[in-house]
Amino acid sequence: MDKKTVSTIAYLSRLSLNEENGEKITQDLENIIKFVDQLENANTQNIEPLASPLEKTAKTRNDEVTAKNRKETFLERSPKSNDDYFLVPRVVE
Amino acid sequence: MSIQFKTINELSHMLKNKDISNKELIEETFSLIDTNTHLNAFVTLNKDASLHKAEELDKNPSSLALAGIPIAQKDLFCTKDLRTTCGSNMLSSFIPPYSATVIENLENAGCISVGKTNMDEFAMGSSNETSFYGNVQNPWGDKLVPGGSSGGSAAVVAAGIVPAASGTDTGGSIRQPASLCGISGLKPTYGRISRWGMIAFASSLDQAGPMARTAEDCALLLNEMCSHDHKDTTSLDEAIPDFTKDLNLPIKGLKIGLVKEFDLSKLDNEVVKVFEESKKQYESLGAEFIDISLPNISLSVPTYYVVAPAECSSNLSRFDGVKFGKRCDDPKDLEELYIKTRSEGFGDEVKRRILIGSTYYQLGFMMLIIKKLNK
Repeated sequence: MDKKTVSTIAYLSRLSLNEENGEKITQDLENIIKFVDQLENANTQNIEPLASPLEKTAKTRNDEVTAKNRKETFLERSPKSNDDYFLVPRVVE
Repeated sequence: MSIQFKTINELSHMLKNKDISNKELIEETFSLIDTNTHLNAFVTLNKDASLHKAEELDKNPSSLALAGIPIAQKDLFCTKDLRTTCGSNMLSSFIPPYSATVIENLENAGCISVGKTNMDEFAMGSSNETSFYGNVQNPWGDKLVPGGSSGGSAAVVAAGIVPAASGTDTGGSIRQPASLCGISGLKPTYGRISRWGMIAFASSLDQAGPMARTAEDCALLLNEMCSHDHKDTTSLDEAIPDFTKDLNLPIKGLKIGLVKEFDLSKLDNEVVKVFEESKKQYESLGAEFIDISLPNISLSVPTYYVVAPAECSSNLSRFDGVKFGKRCDDPKDLEELYIKTRSEGFGDEVKRRILIGSTYYQLGFMMLIIKKLNK
């Protein structure tokens, strides 16, 4: 784990790190990677992977609209919106 | 007549016999909340709506299973028109437009949700010290943590303020605080209770469950919390048994497995003592202990340390300051809006777990290890 990798990871997570917690998290990530690395030694030959925590597969349902349009309810609870849209800073110059 | 430390059945009888009115019960509950504010166990109270519901019940008595029973709801469940923070600054002013299915189920059974309980931020913690709203105190002593993440729920039940509370458990978040506060709680089978309206942490592990002072109360709550829900594709479509049915069966002949890989010498002496005493108690009631082996149990924590943060990193990407929750002031562009909002809105432990999860993705670790892990 070097500084560059950690700052890439922070950027991908859209989080900013300062000098102090940057160093702490670098150390932390290194320890955790080492800790979970012991899984490498587990013998998993002849074991089928588990694709879902459930034993039964999900049921299908008819493709019918059940939800009502609640546009106003959701827009009015957003940090910034107009009558029709969520508003963000301009993205096209 | 004091209602403190009364069980669900005791309160139901008091209401039926008119020893107390629904309104008096709720008023008494709020006065217990007022005298226990030092626990810091509630984030948001629901006083007016609770009193209103109680008055309605006094006017039109109900025969519902949990009619008039006050309950505290973990602040991780969305509650319609009642602030839901998940212990985070990110959601400090979030008012959900709907209620979680489990909240609806409990309220449809007659429960009165008196407030939202404090918790570790986004359920990430085991001592209730990561909440944006401050630490919760264990009612058994001012230097004791209540455990976490459902620490507020455990504390209000242990203090006898309410007979019941909801919790959620991803990696011990009901069972551990229940243990630390001396109450009962359980993590039901995954899929038993709908996760719709629960703020997700690690979706393949998250499960809601009851917290109460007795096994009977947990069973009464579980009866109402379970349902098959079309809004949650992982919700089980299975018959729901009456969980109170077997409560009074004798335990003579019951076999209890003791995992031989668990090393008791790592535990506090007093905990070992209580464990040994409970073993004796079970044996005197006719239960039998047998050694069992879980040879891979030592891999459960490292496995959890991959699955939970990876899912957390994906789930918490929805908090971007655009559609709901907090948004930073004056972002100069969209990217700064995301980064500033998330950096200000999340606490250190949440950031740490997002970064751990992102690390696995970035290192290509997941693709290599996922098949192995799922075994």
